[in-house]
Amino acid sequence: MSPRKRSNETRRNEEHGVKDSRAGFPAGPPVSEELAHIGHDELAGRTLMGDALRRLGRNKLAVAALVWILIVILAAITADLWVPHFFGDPRTINSVTAAANRLQGPTSHHLMGTDELGRDIFGRVIYGARTSLVVGFTAVAISLTIGLILAAVAGFYGKWIDTIIMRITDIFLAFPYILFSILILAIVPPEARGIGPVILAIGLLGWPTFARLYRGSVLSVKENDYVDAGRALGASDVRLMFRHIAPNAIAPVIVYATMSIGGAILTEAALSFLGLGIQPPAISWGKMIESGRGYLIVNPGLVFWPGMAILSTVLAFTLLGDGVRDAIDVKMKD
Amino acid sequence: MTLLTVNDLVKHFPIKSGLLQRQTGAVQAVDGVSFSLEKGETLGLVGESGCGKSTTGRCIMRLIEPTSGHVDFDGVDVTSLRGAELKAFRRDVQIIFQDPYASLNPRMTIGEIVAEPLVIHKSGTRAERTLRVKELLEIVGLNPEHGNRYPHEFSGGQRQRIGIARALSLRPKLIVCDEPVSALDVSIQAQVLNLLDQLQDEFDLTYLFIAHDLSVVQHISDRVAVMYLGKIVEVSGWRDLYARPHHPYTQSLLSAVPVPDPEVQRTRARILLPGDPPSPVNPPSGCRFHTRCPIAQTICAEKEPELREVVSGHWASCHFAAVNPVPVGDGLGSEPSEPSEPVAVLD
Amino acid sequence: MADHLLEVKDLRMHFYTRDGIVKAVDGVTYTLDKGETLGVVGESGSGKSVHALTMMQLIPMPPGRVVGGDVLFKGRSLVKMKDDEIRKIRGNDITMIFQDPMTSLNPVYRIGRQIGEPLVIHKGMSRADAEKRAIELLRLVGIPNPEDRVRDYPHQFSGGMRQRAMIAMALACDPDILIADEPTTALDVTIQAQIIELMLEIQKRTGNAIIMITHDLGVVADIADRILVMYAGRPVEFGTTDEVFYRPLHPYTWGLMDSIPAHDMTEKSELCPIKGQPPSLIDVPAGCAFSPRCPYAKERCFVEEPPFRTIDGTHAASCHFAGDPGFTHAEMTRAGVSA
Repeated sequence: MSPRKRSNETRRNEEHGVKDSRAGFPAGPPVSEELAHIGHDELAGRTLMGDALRRLGRNKLAVAALVWILIVILAAITADLWVPHFFGDPRTINSVTAAANRLQGPTSHHLMGTDELGRDIFGRVIYGARTSLVVGFTAVAISLTIGLILAAVAGFYGKWIDTIIMRITDIFLAFPYILFSILILAIVPPEARGIGPVILAIGLLGWPTFARLYRGSVLSVKENDYVDAGRALGASDVRLMFRHIAPNAIAPVIVYATMSIGGAILTEAALSFLGLGIQPPAISWGKMIESGRGYLIVNPGLVFWPGMAILSTVLAFTLLGDGVRDAIDVKMKD
Repeated sequence: MTLLTVNDLVKHFPIKSGLLQRQTGAVQAVDGVSFSLEKGETLGLVGESGCGKSTTGRCIMRLIEPTSGHVDFDGVDVTSLRGAELKAFRRDVQIIFQDPYASLNPRMTIGEIVAEPLVIHKSGTRAERTLRVKELLEIVGLNPEHGNRYPHEFSGGQRQRIGIARALSLRPKLIVCDEPVSALDVSIQAQVLNLLDQLQDEFDLTYLFIAHDLSVVQHISDRVAVMYLGKIVEVSGWRDLYARPHHPYTQSLLSAVPVPDPEVQRTRARILLPGDPPSPVNPPSGCRFHTRCPIAQTICAEKEPELREVVSGHWASCHFAAVNPVPVGDGLGSEPSEPSEPVAVLD
Repeated sequence: MADHLLEVKDLRMHFYTRDGIVKAVDGVTYTLDKGETLGVVGESGSGKSVHALTMMQLIPMPPGRVVGGDVLFKGRSLVKMKDDEIRKIRGNDITMIFQDPMTSLNPVYRIGRQIGEPLVIHKGMSRADAEKRAIELLRLVGIPNPEDRVRDYPHQFSGGMRQRAMIAMALACDPDILIADEPTTALDVTIQAQIIELMLEIQKRTGNAIIMITHDLGVVADIADRILVMYAGRPVEFGTTDEVFYRPLHPYTWGLMDSIPAHDMTEKSELCPIKGQPPSLIDVPAGCAFSPRCPYAKERCFVEEPPFRTIDGTHAASCHFAGDPGFTHAEMTRAGVSA
């Protein structure tokens, strides 16, 4: 649509005091039928994805969340380039400066102060972001892979395959999440502890919810005629699952996956706090909180800043997930 | 030549319940249907919801697996095909769906949708496929340059045309039309029906036209078969069926259809069938129609009538099949009799 | 001029959306008297359903907004009424039944309770009394063993029975007008015939008026006394059933009649569909909304919107040439002006 046309609409809408109108329609047949004839030429070239992204763009909170996440990612990726230069390498202990610098409050040199070993807290928070993001994305990736494949097979073939897979899912779902992670990690010998088992633990326990969600979606999408049409054309089961069902069934999964990243970060923080996650010298927000606990009165910054980091990042993922859901929800109704 | 022969087709959908999901009953959707289809003809399959007409169409194409019975297409027993042979059979028999909104994948461009059959069967190079898609879009009356648009950008009638283009791409011999115009506005219906007519001549197609709208079926079919509760109750040429129906159900159906002519509506006599159609889970004994039939006798509840040729080329399954069997103007009351169990109306 | 039960005067309701202004209802005008049945005919996008919802204030505003005209029920404006006033009318004096009987009833409440609900709300009856009346109503609409059925849940009723239950609910408070929005579209033809028969019978007994909204010309031929044909939110033709069917004035009406496969034919002929598609309601063609598809359109039609005017007594149409000598369905078809 030409920019000129858009501003006319906005002007008209503003004239009549109308806000975002899309969400307001009753779901019943009469109204949506009437609107089914909105100019086809006007809609030309607009994809469903484009529409959704546009809607997401209008959601200020979601955009802010996305920007924050991107900042965190960028900072984490480029950390090596600038953190040690400005703030000293917080991964190492410089015994010379350590004693002199320890437990300081925020200064111009150390934006968030220093910890009990003289390391710059801001720098440690940035490096901690790496851990959190890696765990968050990788663990969710594992959950998605396992969950989606199992769900696709269960939903598509149904009958006894479905029953077996769903019972397995139920069993996994029945385990208390954190306790099971603790169990897995307790079994792992201390030398092997670290980021690997954490990711595995979180990923291996997160898949059942994805499976349930996706299976439900698959079951409903499967009923559409276009799937039958594909079969009638001679499409193989694999083609039906990937080309026809997946793109249409994936929407709720995207929402939940986004939010899960936040959840995974939180879980990692909890596990590290309990000593079952990241081991020093690796840096994790949860571990920072744990080691900073004892110095709470002297320098609360040791706990406060990593805490804020966790809060802001997890919140950002949740808000982004909310925004994504709102953006594709109307589309899902379509 | 006979293109399709259906023999005693049966489809029962099992009903399972209980912890172990034991089969406790079955929806007898299609219960012994037999008919044949000549090349180039259009057979209309008509009936109300739950009669099994859609299921029959899909069983013929093996979109649904029949419970028993035989389907012979062009000399080949379709019911026993598997693997590559089944895939090859799919080139010859295609389907057009009722719902223009659900029959096209909303995430694919219409070019991709129409090209998909060619891709699946590895037909032609990419360039050749693009050309064929343009050709097909033009054949069905759409702008060939619109191949990169998405289904939601088109109206219902246009989406049906896209579905038709898709069905044509592999040059099938038989097209099963499953209520292709029921969801369309009247003026668009006419356009699509004309298109189907024209395509049939141009490409030498054979149609199995499934519908519940009697006037549409009458317009497009050469022969018409009427179904009730999983069975065919009457088959004949279109003129004969509408002018001289032999089965009481057909006659009731014809009289129930509202005619857009006030004078006719005012003066014609109506046969009002009492109650609701029985459940296909528990069909009535003997003749399935006897619970609602205006002329039912004791034998009707005991013995199921055969589909026999009552007049040359005209078959009906009724013990008392006769021209216009129900005496109209008989003052049939509209007091509904006790309906049998609550019905899950399916199609 | 006698007082009409319902007077719709130039009703205009537009939706203000991000893509533009959807002129869903654009100048609908008609009257309805006691005991009369009006058939409102049109295809999807014609505004036939939306105008009824507008009258009952069932359209969310925003994005909808009544931009002109009025609807008078017994002299009172329905459009201008406040919330609490119109709530007293809905379900009481004017009731509605909808298309899909499967979703119109609440699955978690018993039928008797739902039928009795308007009585409890509007007539202040007790639950017990309402249920007794519900039994009577079920009997009235032809449901056998109503004493037992009244305690059933909707899923235990078939489609046809559910629609009867809906009608029972609509009749509970003895309304003056029953608005039926495509009530039989989702039903089988034999059940449809039963329901229409039922509505006629009840009308004979209670004298209520009916507005029957449908796309099926056969149904209106059966049940309607007068017909309003709508296109693109605008009224296109209005008259008695005989007038509209036998002496139609508007080319759109002619087109509709030609699109329907003829009943009782002995030879097959090609259908003459109306070319093109219904217009977008955001971008309604200038002048006459039907002009791009009209085989008889002249220059004037593309520029000047024809007024909806009375041509002959009770017969009105919105076409510049309606009523002109020689401008009839039969003669124009014979003249061979093709689409």
